[in-house]
Amino acid sequence: MAPKIVSFILNGREIDVMIKPLMTLQKLVRDQLDYTATKTGCKQGGCGSCTVLVNGQPMMSCLLPVEDVAGQKVTTLEGLTPANGLHPIQEAFFEKFAIQCGYCSPGMILMTKALLDRNPNPSRQEIIEALTGNLCRCTGYEPIIEAIEAAAKKLNGKEGVSP
Amino acid sequence: MIISDLKVVGQSVQRRDGLGHVTGKTIYIDDIKFPDMLHLKMVRSPAPHARIKSIDFSDAEKVPGFVRALTHQDVPKNIYTILCLIGVGPDEEPVLAADKVLYKGEQIAAIVAETEDAALEAASRVELDLEELPAVYDVEEALQPGAPILKEWGANYFVYEGHHCRRVRFGDVDQGFAEADFIIEGRYQTSPIEHAPTETTGCVAKPEPDGRLTVYTNTQALFFTLDNTALILNIPFNKLHFVGGTVGGGFGGKVDVIVEPIATLAAMKTGRPVKYTFSREEEMRVSSTRGAWRMYYKDGVMKDGRIVARQVTSYADAGAYNRHTPYAVTKHAANVGGPYSIPNVHIDAHCVYTNRQPGSAMRGFGVTPASFAVEVQMDKIAETIGMDPWELRFVNAYHNGDVKPHRKIVEDATLIETMQAAARLTGHSLPEKYLAMTSDPR
Amino acid sequence: MSVKEYLLPQSLAEAVKLLAQHGDSLLVMAGGTITMPLINDGISRPDMVMGLRHAGLDYIRHSNSSLSIGAMTTLAEMSGDEAIPLLQQATRNTGGWAIRNMGTVGGNLFAPPPAGDVAVALLALDAQVKLAGQSGDRLLPLADFYTGFMSNALQPDELLAEIQVSVPQGKTVYLKAGRKHANTPAIVTVAAHLLMDGEQVKEARLALNAVGPHPLRATRAEEILVKAGRLDETTITASAAAAAEECEPFTDAIATEWYRRKMVGIYVKRVLAQIAGKEA
Repeated sequence: MAPKIVSFILNGREIDVMIKPLMTLQKLVRDQLDYTATKTGCKQGGCGSCTVLVNGQPMMSCLLPVEDVAGQKVTTLEGLTPANGLHPIQEAFFEKFAIQCGYCSPGMILMTKALLDRNPNPSRQEIIEALTGNLCRCTGYEPIIEAIEAAAKKLNGKEGVSP
Repeated sequence: MIISDLKVVGQSVQRRDGLGHVTGKTIYIDDIKFPDMLHLKMVRSPAPHARIKSIDFSDAEKVPGFVRALTHQDVPKNIYTILCLIGVGPDEEPVLAADKVLYKGEQIAAIVAETEDAALEAASRVELDLEELPAVYDVEEALQPGAPILKEWGANYFVYEGHHCRRVRFGDVDQGFAEADFIIEGRYQTSPIEHAPTETTGCVAKPEPDGRLTVYTNTQALFFTLDNTALILNIPFNKLHFVGGTVGGGFGGKVDVIVEPIATLAAMKTGRPVKYTFSREEEMRVSSTRGAWRMYYKDGVMKDGRIVARQVTSYADAGAYNRHTPYAVTKHAANVGGPYSIPNVHIDAHCVYTNRQPGSAMRGFGVTPASFAVEVQMDKIAETIGMDPWELRFVNAYHNGDVKPHRKIVEDATLIETMQAAARLTGHSLPEKYLAMTSDPR
Repeated sequence: MSVKEYLLPQSLAEAVKLLAQHGDSLLVMAGGTITMPLINDGISRPDMVMGLRHAGLDYIRHSNSSLSIGAMTTLAEMSGDEAIPLLQQATRNTGGWAIRNMGTVGGNLFAPPPAGDVAVALLALDAQVKLAGQSGDRLLPLADFYTGFMSNALQPDELLAEIQVSVPQGKTVYLKAGRKHANTPAIVTVAAHLLMDGEQVKEARLALNAVGPHPLRATRAEEILVKAGRLDETTITASAAAAAEECEPFTDAIATEWYRRKMVGIYVKRVLAQIAGKEA
C-alpha cells in the first residue's frame, strides 16, 4: 500500500501531504495536521459535524478521500477564524447562544458561511433547508436560526463569494 | 435587593466556553492525542444471553500493532459500583463479562493496539465460544414462571426491601372502585430512547511519571466517575486525576462510568496513554438508553370528575443490568399518580430485567414516562365522563398541605397557577371559579 | 483494513479497462456517499477502489426533447437544472446540501431502499441507462436495470455511464413521505407522469420507492387509470388501492410494513388528485 503525496490548498495555504489511499479528509486534518475543529460524530455523513468547505461548497469530510481534493481549496473552521477577534458569523453564534455543547458548531458555522456566500439574505425557510444535514442535539435549532439571521445582518451582504 | 443590583442573576451572561466553541478551539476527548498513545476497542457479545465457554485471542494477537488483551481476570474488582455510592444495592454488573453475558453488545474483552484500525481489526478476530441461552425481551414475560432468569438471586426483578416491586399503599382502592361512577383503564408504553449526543462517549487515560494517572473524560459526573474507577481498580482515590467538564452532549448518557475504568486499567498495564471512544454504532446500540416503561392504570372516577381511586401497575425495562433504573423506579413510584389529590392509591412499580440494552439516566428518567401516561389517562377520563380536560385537572389538582400517596406533604404546589398561566398564554378561557382557584391549603 | 489502491481513471475508456483488469477486487465508487460509510464502518473491505470523479462523466446535455445525464453529475448540479421539474424535485429531496454536493445521479441508482429516490422520477419518465463495457455500450430501460434487492443488470465488466431521459409531455407530480420534511429516508416516494387527452388518461406511469426491493412501477394501478377513461375520484381511489395492494413494503427502522402500505394508498391518491386538479 504505497503512500501518495497530494497537494491542495488548506485555509489559504498550499500544502503537500503524504497519505494512504482513500484516507478521508477528516482523518487527515484531525489526526495528521492537528486541525481538530472539524469534528467526528458518525463517520456516515449523517450528522454534519465533519462539514468542511471545498471551493466554498459544503461537503462531509468523513466521506471525502483526500485524493479527491487535489488542487482544490479546502476551508475548515480554523480558516474562518481571524488571528484576532471573531468572524461575524462566530460573533452572531456567540451572542445568540447558538452554542451549548459546541460539538455541532464548527459544522453549523461553515454551513452558514456557505449559505451567506450564496444567498446574503436568506429567508427563515432557506436557512432551515440549508441546515438539514447538520444535527444539533442541544439547542433545538431556534437559537442557531436566529444567529444566522443576525449574521446575515452583520455582514449586510458585504461578504463576497469565498475562494 | 432588586434585580437591577444583581450582576449575574436575571442577566444574560455569556458562556465561558462560548469563544472556544465558535472558534473550534475547545478540546474534546477525540481531539486529544499523545505520541505513544494506544487505542482500546471492545469485543462485545453478539448474543443476547449466553454462557462464555472460551475466548481465543490467537488470531487477534497476530494483527500488526496488537499490544494486549484484557479480560475479567485482569480487573482487580470486576464490578460496577454505581449504585452503592448512593446507597442502593446490590452491584451486579461486571466491568468485563466473566461467565455470562446478558445483552447483545455486552463488553467481554478489551483489545489494546497501536492504532484504531489495528484495534478494530484485532477485536474482530477474537474467537468467542458461546453457549446461547434462551432470552427474554418483554417485561411481563420476564416475570412469568418459566422465563429465563437473569440474576443470581433467582428473579428478574429488583428487590425493594424484601418486596418484588416498589409499593405505595394509600387508603383502600377497592372501596374507592366500589363507590366510583366510572372505572377507566389504560395501558401505556414508552420506547427506549437513545441520547444520541453528537460527541460519543470516550476518555483518554495517561500514566504520569509520578505514578498517578490523568484521565481525560467526557463523563457528566467527574468525581463520581473517579470514585468508581478507583474502587474498581482497587487503588487509592488520590492516585487518579480526572480532567473533564467539556461534554459534547450528555443528557444523562455519560454517567455510567462505562469507559474510564477499563481504559485506566489498560494504561496502568501498558504504561502508555490509552484512548477508548465509542463509535456511533456503539453509542446507539450498546450505550444505555432511557429505558422503556409499561404502565397500567385503573381509575375510579365520580360523575363530578373527582378521581377517588387510582391503581397503577408499572414495569420498567431495566434491560440487562441495574445501572440507575432501581433508583428511577423509586422516583417513578412517587410521581406516577400525578400531581393530583386522590384518597385511595395503590402503586406497584417493578424494576424488571430483560436481555436488552440496559436503561439508565436520561433527563427526568422514571418521571417523564409517568408524565406521559398520567396525562393521557387524564384526557381519557375527561373524554369518557364527558368533562372538559382542563376542568378535570382543576378538580383533582393537589393543594399545599395535601398528603401525597407516599406520605409526603405537598409544598410549593403550582399546578393550578401553571394551568391558569397556560390558559392565558394560549387564549383558552376558563370558568371564573378556576381562575379564582389557588394552591393554598384547602 | 486499509484500501491498497485508490484509482482515479481520467476517462470512461480507462475506467472500463481497469474494471476488466481487476474485476472482483475493484470496488467502483461514484460520490462516495454510499460506499464510504460502509468502508468507514469496516463492513466493506475492498482491496482496491476506483473513483469515477475524473472519468468525464459529469455533464448534462440538453437536446430538443431530452437530457443525457452523465452518471457522475452531482445531485446538486441536477437540482439546479430546470429542464425536467420532476427530476429537479427528486434530486432536491435527496439528502442535505453537503450530500448533494458529493452524491451523484448515477450513484443514487445504486442506493438501496428506502434510499434511492432519484430513480422514482426516472422510472416515471421512462428513462434509459447506458451501460459501458469492454465490448461497447448498450441502452437499457431503467425498469429493466433493477433485478432484485441490491442487484441489477450490470455485467461484471460494465459501468453505468449515462442516463437518458425525455422531457415529459404530460403532467408530473412527485411526493415523498419521510420522518422529517427533508434529508430523510423515505416511508414512501411517489412519482407520476400522466399523459392526458382532455379528461382521459392516455398513458400512465406511477413509480414508487421504499415499498419493494427496488424502485418500481405500480403497473396494475397504472392500468386502472388508463382503462377508466376519466381521472375522477372513483378512478383515483381504485388506482390508489391497487398500488397499495401490489407493492411489497418492508419493515425497517423508518416504518413498518403496514404503515408503508397505508401511506402508499394515501400518497398515490394525493399525487393523482394533484394531477387531476392541475391546469392543462
